[in-house]
Amino acid sequence: MFTSKMLKLFLCAAAGLLFAGGAYAQSCEPGKVAQKYPSLAGKVIKIGVDPESPPYVFRDSKDFNTLIGADADMARAVFTCAGLKTEFFSGGWSGLLPALNAGQIDVMWDLLYYTPERAKQTSFATYMQAGTGGLVQVGNPKKIDDIEKLCGMTVAAGVGTTEETMARAQAAKCTAEGKPEVTVMTFPDIASGARLIASHRADAMMYDLALVDGLAKQNPQLYMRGFKVLSGMKIGVGIKKGNTDLIAVVSDGLKVMQANQTQKKIFEKYGVDPTLEAPTTLLTQ
Amino acid sequence: MLKKKHYCWLAVLALFAVQSVFAAEPVATPVLDGFKELVGYVGSPFLIGGAWVAVKITLMAMSIGLVLGLGLALMRLSRFKAVSSAAWGYIWFVRGTPQLLQLVFIFDALPLIGVRFDEITTAVIGFALNEAAFSAELFRAGIVSVNRSQSTAAAALGMGPFLTLRRIILPQSMRSVVPGLANDTIGMLKLTSIASVIFVNELTFRSQQVVGQNFKFFTVFGAAAVIYLCLTSAISLVQIWLERIFDHESERRIRFSPLGLRVWQREATPADLPPVETAVADPVVETNDHAWIRTLLPQETRPARADGLPFVACKNVWKSYGEREILRGVDLAVDHGEVVVILGPSGSGKSTLLKLINHLEPLDWGSIKVDSQYVGYREGPGGVLRPVHNLARARAQARVGMVFQHFNLFSHLSALENIMEAQRQVYSVAPAQAEALGRALLKSVGLAAHADFLPHRLSGGQQQRVAIARALAIKPKLMLFDEPTSALDPELVGEVLGVMRGLADAGMTMIVVTHEIRFARDVADRVVFMDGGEVIEQGTPQQVIDNPSHERTRKFLNVVAH
Repeated sequence: MFTSKMLKLFLCAAAGLLFAGGAYAQSCEPGKVAQKYPSLAGKVIKIGVDPESPPYVFRDSKDFNTLIGADADMARAVFTCAGLKTEFFSGGWSGLLPALNAGQIDVMWDLLYYTPERAKQTSFATYMQAGTGGLVQVGNPKKIDDIEKLCGMTVAAGVGTTEETMARAQAAKCTAEGKPEVTVMTFPDIASGARLIASHRADAMMYDLALVDGLAKQNPQLYMRGFKVLSGMKIGVGIKKGNTDLIAVVSDGLKVMQANQTQKKIFEKYGVDPTLEAPTTLLTQ
Repeated sequence: MLKKKHYCWLAVLALFAVQSVFAAEPVATPVLDGFKELVGYVGSPFLIGGAWVAVKITLMAMSIGLVLGLGLALMRLSRFKAVSSAAWGYIWFVRGTPQLLQLVFIFDALPLIGVRFDEITTAVIGFALNEAAFSAELFRAGIVSVNRSQSTAAAALGMGPFLTLRRIILPQSMRSVVPGLANDTIGMLKLTSIASVIFVNELTFRSQQVVGQNFKFFTVFGAAAVIYLCLTSAISLVQIWLERIFDHESERRIRFSPLGLRVWQREATPADLPPVETAVADPVVETNDHAWIRTLLPQETRPARADGLPFVACKNVWKSYGEREILRGVDLAVDHGEVVVILGPSGSGKSTLLKLINHLEPLDWGSIKVDSQYVGYREGPGGVLRPVHNLARARAQARVGMVFQHFNLFSHLSALENIMEAQRQVYSVAPAQAEALGRALLKSVGLAAHADFLPHRLSGGQQQRVAIARALAIKPKLMLFDEPTSALDPELVGEVLGVMRGLADAGMTMIVVTHEIRFARDVADRVVFMDGGEVIEQGTPQQVIDNPSHERTRKFLNVVAH
């Protein structure tokens, strides 16, 4: 306990030094939290995540008690920059938004897609655009190198996800064009989706691009990426509406991380395509 | 038969087998590696920590839930409609709504009204509220499964409702409640995973996270399954242990051996317990054994009283159940030391009259005094009788012993414990003293060797003798016998009547409802004939039995005698 705290403190200090040396050193002012964000001084920010979503948030294989990933590292960097302490709250994905609205957590930082519907209750600070990858069996035996080639295939998508919507839209398109029909299978978690491909129950699995790339990289004997689609969807941090100081912290911090290349470095570290980075935008409706 | 302790290893082997079937290559090495990896995950502090979270929530939620559940069960059984409806409404709602939504509601909706719980507290509250609803029905089933005669007997001994529940009803109902509770516990342990939606990181959620990171679902989920199996096996062991404790019908012992837990079912053998058959043939009661009974009778009331008032005075007693009138203005006076036998056809109200005398049932009109005192009534304004608040204490103070047709021995207690129960729990007699009296009473009814027998191992006649000893243990001033030999085989009637005869000789005041005409003739000071809720005639046995003056008496005696 003591040592892990020490380690965290050390990491925070190291990160702070790193940012202080950056080109926009004047923006990271961890000492001025009381002046800049008075309502947050001394507060520990509760970050809600579902640590089942590599490469964004997942358990460190060396120490399962540590959360790592592109989103986890970004969150730490942003709040350290503002001089705030953080604590991760890990729960099932579907419980994260309700907990955010109830104030049980302060931010949700876990591959959260912006939609106008969600923005009715939650403010968004977006920092990247979504990319969708099509995971196929190694060697791509069915030659699926484009979403248009899905006609006649069996496609797996996470239940209730944007990818499921995309898959169903493509299915409708195939039918409209008089091509063979698409069979859509849904799965509850990514691991079971990947199993569908490994066991040849589905021909392609559509999921977040970085995750698909990560899977293909980790299991080259099983998978590869067949195609990618940039949907134009935005991914952001969810913050409870009306919490102006916290919205400012996240928004300011993200701008700094993008300016000083921290986001790019973190994305590269976890195999997320750095070109997916998008300028920080505050979306409140 | 499989030993519980070996289930874990079986599970590991089973997973090992599954692994070998599904492995990509039919080579032993990856299988062995997978097996090693699985064992490694079983020992992972991260997963074990998750299991501890699940255990912690289950232990706390079960403890709270069982207390609430018992309360709800009692509310459900309440005769007050509002109370039972409230409990029913709670159970209906909690059982009928998804637990996941309840958890999310407690965690995410209550903060809106300023009530904020952390995730573990929320889980404990959510699971406890659920367990309360489910266990309430289990408890209720257990309580209603215990024969009503058990609580009647306890009430006659002056035991209050909560004492009866704790000492008599619950121990007997636990036998049917425990398997259901074990099911609930195991179910809850596994179901804690749904609390991942409110940030509880227990075993399943943690293993999902590990799989999300490394995609090794076989080994990680296999390890989680092994941990769950070990925990649920432990719960099953506790279940076995509890079932042995609450199984009052067989002489079972749990023994620990190097091979693990072994349950021995041991039938009582003649070597350590005297067989029932020879016990029946025991010399019943030596005539000179009656002397001690005098020592039981309260000294101060023994001399005939100067005021000339009867010891038991029933005046104009009316009682009906619904529309049916059972007693229609009964007057009956019993003197101190008198033995009164009540005869009459079934339905004539004899048994009901006995139950009114010690206030097991409330009377509708009239009054009954025992030793110049009301039992559980006080006079209100205008001489109207009102039941007192603490009826059990009033019964205990009245010291009226009662013997039932079906013995009503507490079936989970040995003969000696049956006799000691009221002394210890109601009259706070010291254990050694209560035991000494208990053994003396057993000896006097000819059952000294049967002190440790549970009722079901005794013959009917022996059970009734224990019941008489139990009633005597409260040092009664008055003994009521409600058809004490009607449920006995003919050859066993004699031993019970012998004990009663001894009591009468010792000067005990007794009211006996019976069909034993010979006993009435030999022992009774007075015979009362009742029919249709009224006293038809009364007098000495010679008058009533040999020269009845009423037609109804004659008819009845003709039927009974032949």
